[in-house]
Amino acid sequence: MTKPLLELRGLSGGYPPVSVFRDVSLSVKQGEHVGLFGPNGHGKTTLLKTIAGVLDPWDGGIYFEGKRLNAVGKMQARVSHNLNYDLFRKRRINALDVVDAGLIYVMQGNLLFPEMTVEEVLDIAPRAARNRPGVAQMRRQIHDLFPRLRERWTSKIRYLSGGERQMVSIAVGLLAMPRLLMLDEPTLGLSPKLRIELSEAVRNIRETGVPLIIVDQNVEFLTSLVDRLILFDHGTITREIPAENMPKHAELMDMMFGGAH
Amino acid sequence: MGFEAFTFILMSGILLGGLYALMATGLAVVWTTLGVFNFAHGAFVTLGAYMAWQVSQSVAGGFGFLIAVATSVTVMFCLGFVLHFALIKPFERNQNVVLLAVVSTLAAASIIENAVLLNWGPRDKQIAPPITSKIDFFGASINTFDFVILGIALFALFGLALFLRRTTVGRTLRAAAQNREAAELMGLNVPKLFAITLGLSAATAALAGVFVGSLRFINPTFGADPLMKSLIVVILGGVARFTSPIYAAFVVGIVESFSAYFLGLYWSPALLFAMMIAVLLIKPEGLFGHRSKTL
Repeated sequence: MTKPLLELRGLSGGYPPVSVFRDVSLSVKQGEHVGLFGPNGHGKTTLLKTIAGVLDPWDGGIYFEGKRLNAVGKMQARVSHNLNYDLFRKRRINALDVVDAGLIYVMQGNLLFPEMTVEEVLDIAPRAARNRPGVAQMRRQIHDLFPRLRERWTSKIRYLSGGERQMVSIAVGLLAMPRLLMLDEPTLGLSPKLRIELSEAVRNIRETGVPLIIVDQNVEFLTSLVDRLILFDHGTITREIPAENMPKHAELMDMMFGGAH
Repeated sequence: MGFEAFTFILMSGILLGGLYALMATGLAVVWTTLGVFNFAHGAFVTLGAYMAWQVSQSVAGGFGFLIAVATSVTVMFCLGFVLHFALIKPFERNQNVVLLAVVSTLAAASIIENAVLLNWGPRDKQIAPPITSKIDFFGASINTFDFVILGIALFALFGLALFLRRTTVGRTLRAAAQNREAAELMGLNVPKLFAITLGLSAATAALAGVFVGSLRFINPTFGADPLMKSLIVVILGGVARFTSPIYAAFVVGIVESFSAYFLGLYWSPALLFAMMIAVLLIKPEGLFGHRSKTL
């Protein structure tokens, strides 16, 4: 049995004092593509942001290749309303450590850097991959994956369409030479044509063997890409579905909402 | 007023504008990147000027001035870098970071000014300008050194702009300024980049301080005036582009020298503040800006 690449053990988190997800345990093996599906507002993005080190986990552990990324122990509840209380609290996870380990998170609907051109953003993107080889090759690959970006090479990010921004975000994630890439709703708010183009790109990324965690609301898009589907409901994992019996949209709705849809 | 006087006043206004541009850009870069207002900027100008004075006193020969400038700028860059971790970094997770940074930078300004007073005393000093010749410029007799200062100031600003646009470090700096969360997820060390920003800002302040110190007399509290003028410049010009405060600096410089001639020296701050209030009422984003604040 191979060691899991990413392992979550009883992870809990949220935006203090609101708890968003509780006791999430999950492991992703090398080369595996996992889909995360669940209703809006049930904590999928919060979970990914916690893994990426943007938010502090409350409890539990995040292990990447057996190495623990977050501080041991439970986060203390806020005991004072002093305005400076936060100054003396240590962060329980460091986003830089997570990125250095090769765990790359592509934010949903990311604005990135509105006043920078595509060229500039892709120039600084490999800063995260300082220690990993193959950046030059990845750069060439980006051109093939997203031919559309080449036309917008000197445009500022804020003049790009939503789909083009999403492509830049994914390209930035890829240039960090990820060991595991987390895509948060890549098809959010895209036109059908762009969605096809983007899912083609994600399929190509999948071919390169980079392990993926994809969160998306589009069932067809998600089930066609992943080896395993995880249903996420009310802040915890309710069910895991292997590739063999991947459900159709209607079946999935049945499973989650008991035929109400 | 004859043509000669007009040229003379215009040139002194442009020179003043160049110095204000240098100081205001440092302030604007910190404001757009760190999101706080650095009230210690004036003290940086003072300290830079005094350090250059000290070096130029002890180094003899024609290169004394150059060595003084280089030392002062380098030391101030390092000081700015370190001060970020003392003045702004501890408060960055507090929701009142802007207010806390006002207090902490004011405190730093006070400490620096009094340290300068303790070390160098209250008497006025002047850095000996390396060039004392005058040239005839459209009938007006103007110091050659004024042109040198203007040239170096513009060159430094051009260099800074080039650094931010063309180099990888400069680009990561802008990235951290525009979207801190995304920059962190990209693996950029944001606190270090912010420290570099404050260092660059302090270095430009030191450069401006050296020039002011070689044009006028310096004393431990003279930094208050440049700080006030830079504030007016930043508000007048806005910070939408790198060049916005630079244009505004020349406007302020020229208005100041003409108002000093026509209305008297003591009226020029009042006029500048009146202009600032008018701009805030009519075009709050600044004369040369739009609503966004970017680098």
